[in-house]
Amino acid sequence: MKKTKIRYMKSFKKLCLFIILGIFSFSGCKKDNDETTVDNHAPVIDLTGDAFPVQCSTLKRGGSFTFKTKFSDNIELGTYSIDIHHNFDHHTHSTEFEECELQPKKEPVKPFLFIKSYDIPSGQKNYEAVQQIEVSADIDPGDYHFMISISDHVGWSTIKGLSIQIVE
Amino acid sequence: MKYNIICLFNVLLTTFIYAQEKECTLSGVIIDADCKTLPNVSIVIATLGHSSKSDHTGKFSIAGLPQGKHVVVLSHVGYIPEERTITIESTPIDLGTIVMKKTNYAIKQVDVLGEIYATTPAGALNKELVDQQYIHRHLGGSLMQTLSRLPGISNIGIGSGQSKPLIRGLGFNRVVVVEKGVKHEGQQWGADHGLEIDQFAAGNIEVIKGAASFLYGSDAIGGVIDIKPEPLSEKESLSGSLNLIGKSNNDLYGVSANAQGRTENWIYGGRVTYQRYGDYRVPTDTVHVYDYPVRLHKNKARNTAGKELNFHFNGGYATENFETIFYISNNSNRSGFFANAHGLEPRRVDTELHDTSSRDMQMPYQQVNHFKVINRSSLTIGFHCIEMEAGFQHNFRQEYSKYVNHGYMPPVYPDSMKMPSDLERQYDKRVYSLNLRDRFSIGQHTFVAGINGEYQHNRIDGWSFLIPGFNQLSAGAFLYDRYRLSDKVSLYGALRYDYSHIETIKYTDWFPSVVSEENGNSETAYLTRAANLQRTFNSLVWSSGATYNEGDFSMKANVGKSFRVPIAKELAANGVNYHYFSYELGDPALSPEQSYQFDAGLSYSKEKLSLELNPFYNYFSNYIYLNPTPRHDHFYGAGNQIFEYTQSRVQRYGGEIKIGYRFSEVFRTELLAEYVKAEQLSGSKKGYPLPFSPPASFLANMSWQPNTGSLKNSYFSVDLRLVAPQNEIVPPEKKTPGYELVNVQVGHPLMIYGKPIQINLQVQNLFDTKYLDHTSFYRLIEMPEVGRNIVLSLSVPFDFSRKRKS
Repeated sequence: MKKTKIRYMKSFKKLCLFIILGIFSFSGCKKDNDETTVDNHAPVIDLTGDAFPVQCSTLKRGGSFTFKTKFSDNIELGTYSIDIHHNFDHHTHSTEFEECELQPKKEPVKPFLFIKSYDIPSGQKNYEAVQQIEVSADIDPGDYHFMISISDHVGWSTIKGLSIQIVE
Repeated sequence: MKYNIICLFNVLLTTFIYAQEKECTLSGVIIDADCKTLPNVSIVIATLGHSSKSDHTGKFSIAGLPQGKHVVVLSHVGYIPEERTITIESTPIDLGTIVMKKTNYAIKQVDVLGEIYATTPAGALNKELVDQQYIHRHLGGSLMQTLSRLPGISNIGIGSGQSKPLIRGLGFNRVVVVEKGVKHEGQQWGADHGLEIDQFAAGNIEVIKGAASFLYGSDAIGGVIDIKPEPLSEKESLSGSLNLIGKSNNDLYGVSANAQGRTENWIYGGRVTYQRYGDYRVPTDTVHVYDYPVRLHKNKARNTAGKELNFHFNGGYATENFETIFYISNNSNRSGFFANAHGLEPRRVDTELHDTSSRDMQMPYQQVNHFKVINRSSLTIGFHCIEMEAGFQHNFRQEYSKYVNHGYMPPVYPDSMKMPSDLERQYDKRVYSLNLRDRFSIGQHTFVAGINGEYQHNRIDGWSFLIPGFNQLSAGAFLYDRYRLSDKVSLYGALRYDYSHIETIKYTDWFPSVVSEENGNSETAYLTRAANLQRTFNSLVWSSGATYNEGDFSMKANVGKSFRVPIAKELAANGVNYHYFSYELGDPALSPEQSYQFDAGLSYSKEKLSLELNPFYNYFSNYIYLNPTPRHDHFYGAGNQIFEYTQSRVQRYGGEIKIGYRFSEVFRTELLAEYVKAEQLSGSKKGYPLPFSPPASFLANMSWQPNTGSLKNSYFSVDLRLVAPQNEIVPPEKKTPGYELVNVQVGHPLMIYGKPIQINLQVQNLFDTKYLDHTSFYRLIEMPEVGRNIVLSLSVPFDFSRKRKS
């Protein structure tokens, strides 16, 4: 009776060892499904061609300019936004490699501020954004940042921060 | 008890025989507190420099000692050294049975219920145990970095000296850290907020991997890190220790010194820890923040220096049946954030100012002070052991950064503002906690019945807004039962009820924002970011499990339901987090997270081999998650992408494997593997994992403890860590490549004036490998982790009590 119990225990232990080894080898062999059904690609901001503004571009105050940028995504684009704010204190945040020549630091009096988000018609993989933007005549000229943010349908996003200048 | 008597008898018998055989010798037997004989204990006649060691039965004998007075020191890694003064005349001296206590050993053993008092009643859940020796051998920049070597444990690191825990990929408010019985409350919700715990002041640490809500209430849904206090001293003793630490990578130097004593019943002690470190070095000279290359001065992560100063005092009274101890501690630390990027926001910095010194902390930096008073008391009456912990904590966190006008904030910081222009955020938290438990047994049942209560008072300040101030009251009651079915089988069951009430405090912006634009006319208003919201939650959770032991083999299984109450940020966030360019939006209608988890454990240990397998499966019916949407908001969100708190069904599974094998007395190997997979089953991120999912990793350790000649009690150990790439990501994460790391640990006790000085040396990241840690705060800006780091620590024990006695 006792012997059979011991034998039973032994085979039980063996079984457990097999299970452990089995799980081990299973997890070891399991391939990483890199490209599964989910979208892991962020949208792209294309600043080549006739895109405007680009790094170190110049805008004129007291008029309007045309923002033009191409966006693309592997599945579907979401929305985009534009933020123009002053950089008189040379505080932040260019994402671009190229450095622009900056004017001396100064205190803002009435800096230009532009914040707006825009929709993109649904189902687009490629989209050229074109927006007419007014720059009033009474704002401070100087160094500015031009931030572009684009998202895709699942919330991946890409940001470009451009250094630009607004002149008389 | 029966075994103890037999053991003692054996020991006495053998020492007696031993003593009879030898003449003019010194002999004895060394055992540990569990009555097991201790081999390889170093025995040094300090006055002669003569040394020996105990054999495999714990016995030792030293022959040919000259007459006179001698000091004998017995020491062993992990044990409190023993010292004896002997006078040798013409007869042999038998020291008899010497009991050595583990350095980490909880001396109070109120073993009324067959369980050691200090053990957390975690039922059949998986636990990892760590002692002070482990901490000293694997000392990382902070406690969680030290613990992340354990399978299933990782950390979210912020620079070289700050981190927070992740257990099987769950962190933030899903892991409870308990210190001295009281839940540690800081600002757990933020990735850049480290844990305010002094790793030198920790006693044993128990890590519960799995949902333990039934014990600790909300937040213990992912696991618990239970940091025990340092063990109490023996009666009539006064001892202390001095630890010196140096690290090459960030030029850290630190010291931690303690003294603790006890009369018959009165207990007292204290500890001071000071650490100061410079900017940490990474194996690269350029970091790319977006496309913008940031040059690093001397490969140093600019402005990541820091300092830490901690004080601890304790005092109390203990008898056989009653004990009450007060613990008072104050942890303060200040550390810089990487200056070229505050979160994801790239910044142009004054490199001349920042690079002048690698040890200063310029803006942006964080300053945190955590003050704690805890009373732990226990009373044993008959078969009842009543335990109580009462605590007060004050967590005061300030984040300093020069004013940057984001969104609609005014271009110049107004003079009329009361708060300073460089105070970006301030969190002021006061927490009152009370735990009461009764452990008692009836027949084969061991019960723990208890209540927990906590009141939180949170206030905010600073020019940036993320979460509102809030008050929160929570209370819970639980019953835990362990039923011993037989010698081999135990069953566990637990039931808990919780009540929680939260009220957030209204917050209105200090600056006007554009709220509508029509025909070129924009209208502005002071936006109300958070309302006076009130929510009440009730939860009933349960857990049940079983353990089975059969000789070398043991098995356990546990299934349970856990919950977590939504936090203020999840309910009421409504602001732009410029560190991530995200407009974070809470949902005041969120319901408490519910989680069902199955845990299993198989272990086998025979002779040279030990195996342990701990798989788990977990299902959340409504995991609360900050979901990045495709939308932008140009009014409340100042043009940023909307991230909103939503709930989705989530399944998680994985586990850990531990294999140990002893090739010989001196060589052993250990293999640790961990894997966790999380998948969202519903909502807009269906098919995606959860953020901060640690990649699969494997650790192979080889250690050599020669125990001969001059290398007695030394150890030499090498860790090879292989980490798989993490390709399962969710916005806004990035795929992280795999990497290999080699760490080396060496230790040697030196006898100086009869005092064993333990030297531990580590080389972390031996080959200065450049790698990215998927769960690091700086992962998104591609900042590599700390390069090669040589860590040297010395610990010198002091024992004043013997002198006083003799």
